[in-house]
Amino acid sequence: MATLAPQAPARARASRRSRHATLVAWGFAAPFLILFLVFMAGPIVASLMMSFTDLTTRDLQTPFNVNFVGFENYAELFADPRFVRSLLNTAVFVIVGVPLTMALALAVALALNTGIAKFRTVFRVGYYAPVVTSIVAIAIVWRFILQPDGLLNGFLGWFGIAGPGWLQSTTWALPSLILMAVWRNIGTLMVIFLAGLQGVPKEHHEAAMVDGANAFQRFGNITIPAMRPTLLFAAVITGIGFLQFFEEPFVMTRGGPLDATLSAAMYTFNQFGFGNYSYASAASYVLFLAIVALSLIQFRLLGKKD
Amino acid sequence: MVAAGAIVAAGAIMLTACGRGDGAAGGPESKGEIDDKPATGTVEIWAMGNEGEVLGELAAKFEEENPDVTIDVTAVPWESAHDRIATAIAGGETPDISMLGTTWVGEFAATGAFEPTPDGLVDEGDFFEGSWNTTVVDDVAYGVPWYVDTRVLYYRTDLAEAAGVEAPTTWEEYKTFAAALKSQGATSGVSLPPGGFDSWQYVAPLAWQQGGDILDSDGETFEFDSPEWQEAFEFYASFFEEGISEPVRLEGGEIEQKFISGEVGSFFSGPYHVSLLREQGGAEFADKFAVAMVPGADTRTSFTGGGNLAVFDDSENRDAAWKFVRWLSQPETQVQWYDISTDLPSVEAAWDDPVFADDPYLSVFGEQLADSKAPPAIPTWAQVSAIVDQELEKVTRGETNVEDALAAVQQQAESIGTGQ
Repeated sequence: MATLAPQAPARARASRRSRHATLVAWGFAAPFLILFLVFMAGPIVASLMMSFTDLTTRDLQTPFNVNFVGFENYAELFADPRFVRSLLNTAVFVIVGVPLTMALALAVALALNTGIAKFRTVFRVGYYAPVVTSIVAIAIVWRFILQPDGLLNGFLGWFGIAGPGWLQSTTWALPSLILMAVWRNIGTLMVIFLAGLQGVPKEHHEAAMVDGANAFQRFGNITIPAMRPTLLFAAVITGIGFLQFFEEPFVMTRGGPLDATLSAAMYTFNQFGFGNYSYASAASYVLFLAIVALSLIQFRLLGKKD
Repeated sequence: MVAAGAIVAAGAIMLTACGRGDGAAGGPESKGEIDDKPATGTVEIWAMGNEGEVLGELAAKFEEENPDVTIDVTAVPWESAHDRIATAIAGGETPDISMLGTTWVGEFAATGAFEPTPDGLVDEGDFFEGSWNTTVVDDVAYGVPWYVDTRVLYYRTDLAEAAGVEAPTTWEEYKTFAAALKSQGATSGVSLPPGGFDSWQYVAPLAWQQGGDILDSDGETFEFDSPEWQEAFEFYASFFEEGISEPVRLEGGEIEQKFISGEVGSFFSGPYHVSLLREQGGAEFADKFAVAMVPGADTRTSFTGGGNLAVFDDSENRDAAWKFVRWLSQPETQVQWYDISTDLPSVEAAWDDPVFADDPYLSVFGEQLADSKAPPAIPTWAQVSAIVDQELEKVTRGETNVEDALAAVQQQAESIGTGQ
C-alpha cells in the first residue's frame, strides 16, 4: 500500500507528460499534414474520381454536366496504340536506365571513396554538376552534340564512322535520351552511394583481409550486403524518376520522331494540354500503378533482411 | 514530378469545380453596349510572354487618358498559361481580361467563360479577316484580335542572285527556287520540319492555297480526305524526296544560325525573325536576306496566328475591361504597341502608318496578312492537329503513303470530333 500510493500520481504525471508530448508532436506535424491533405491527398483522390468521368475543358464551368463513365477512359487508353507505345518506351527507359545509372554511379562512388584522393573534390563536383544544372541549358548543349553535324558525329568522323542524326532517328533518339538521363542522374546516386560506402565498417574489411579475401570478394561479401538499404533506396528513387521520364523528351524531341521517345508522362501531359482532363487522369493513374508495382518488386528483391 | 504536378492541377480543378452548381447550358450573352465615358476602377489583365513583360508601359498611357482607372497587368509564362486559364475558369477566379493564343479560343469559349464581344464595340471590317475569324466560335465573336503573326518566306538574296532566281510566286517556281539555292551550297534549299510538332502550320496553307480546307463549310465535317490535302501532302513530301530539304527539324536558335551561315537557303517564319537576323547577322548580313509573300497555287494564303484579347463573363469591371480592349485595338494604339513590343497590328488601318508602309520587310507582312488564314476555332483543334503532325512525319519518313496517311488523319479526326 505504502509503495502504491506515490506511484499513482507519478503514473498520472507520466501520462500527462506523454499526452503533452503527443500534442506537441501533432503540432509540429500539423502544417505538413494540412498541406498534404489539401494539396496532395485531396487532388489525388479527386483525380482518381475524375478518371471515371468524361470531364474536358468545356465542362470546367458546369461540372454537373460531367458523366460517370466507369472504366471507359482506361479501356480507351489501352486501345490507343500511342499510349501503349509510350508505356513500352517508358519500360525500355526504366529497364536500361535504372541498372545503368546504378552501376555507373556505384563505380564512380567506389573510385572516389578509395583512390585518387587528391582530386576527389574536383571529381565530385564534376559528376554532380549535371544534377544542379537546368535541363533546358543541358538540352541546348546536347542538341549541339547530337546534331547530324554536331560534336559527337565530328568525333566519330575521325574514326571514319558516319554517325546518324541522333535525335532525328527513330532508332537512336531513345538511346540518346537514355544516355543523357543516365549522365544526369549519376551525380545524385553517387552522393548517396558515397555516404553509404562511408557507413561500411572498416573493421569488417580489415578482418576479411586478414582472412585473405581479395578486393572482389570483399566487395561482394561485405560492401554489397552492408549497402543493401542504400541500394534499395537508390533503386526505388531512380526507378520512380525514370518512370516519370519527361523533361528529356519534352525539351529535346517532343516525343518524336514518330513517338520513338514518347513517354507515359509525356503522353499524359499532352492529354492535359488537349483539355482531356478525365482521360489524362486515367493515364496518370496507370503510371501511378506502374510506380507502385515497380517499387514493390524492388522491395521484394532488395529489401530482405538477413 | 511533372506527372504529380499535373495530377495536382487536375485535382484542384475537380475540387473547386464541385462547389459550383449553375449547370448553365449554352454560352453567356453580352451584357449590352459599352459607352464612351472614361473607364474607372481596376482592370486585371493576364498577358503572356513578351506581351506580359511590356504591356505595363502601354497601359500607363491608357491610365493617363482615364485617370480613374488602374490597369493591373500580370505576366504569365506561355508554358503555364493554358493550365492557368483553365484552373481560373474552373475555380471562378478569373481576371477581367486575358490574352489568348488564337488556337485556344475555341477550347475556352466552349466553357462559356468568356463574354461575347458587345455589339458596336469595334468594327469587324477594321481587322484582317483571317485574324478576326480566330475570335469567332459558332458565329459568335469572343474578344478582339490584338496582334497578328503571319508566315512569309525568308530567303538569302545573295544565293538567289548567284543562282539567277527571284522570289517565287507559284509552286513550280518555289520548287526551282529552293533547288537553285541548294545548288549554291545550302544543305536545305528551304528548311521545313519533316513532320512532328506544329508542322501542320506549314502544310495547311498548301491545302488552303488550292481552295481546300480543314472543315467543310458546315463547320462540322473534316475534309482531310480531299484532293487538295492530297496535293498538299505530296508537294510537301516531295521536298524531302527530292533532297531539296534536309529532313532535320531546326528549333529556334538553330535556324537563324544556319541561315546566316548559308546552310539554309530559305525558311518560313513570322515577323520576329527580321530583328533576330539583323541582330545576329550583324551589319554586313542585313542586305543578304529579304522576305517575300509565300508562293502559292490559286492563292498565296499563309498561316496566321497571334494573340486575342477576351473578357471573362464574370468580370467585375466588364465596362472598363471592354474599354481597354477597344483602346488597344485602335490603329494609333497599335502603332505605339508595335514600337514597344514589335507585335504587328491586327487592324488594317494601322498599316498605313509609315512605320509599316515604308519598311521593305514589314510591308510584305502587311500584304501577306491580307491573304492569311487561321485554323478553325474548334475546341479539339490541338488534338486534331497533333494527328496531322504525326501522319505527315510518317509520310516524309517514307513509313506510309499519302493516301493512307490522310485516311488515318480523317478517321482519327472524325473520332475526336469538333467538340461542338
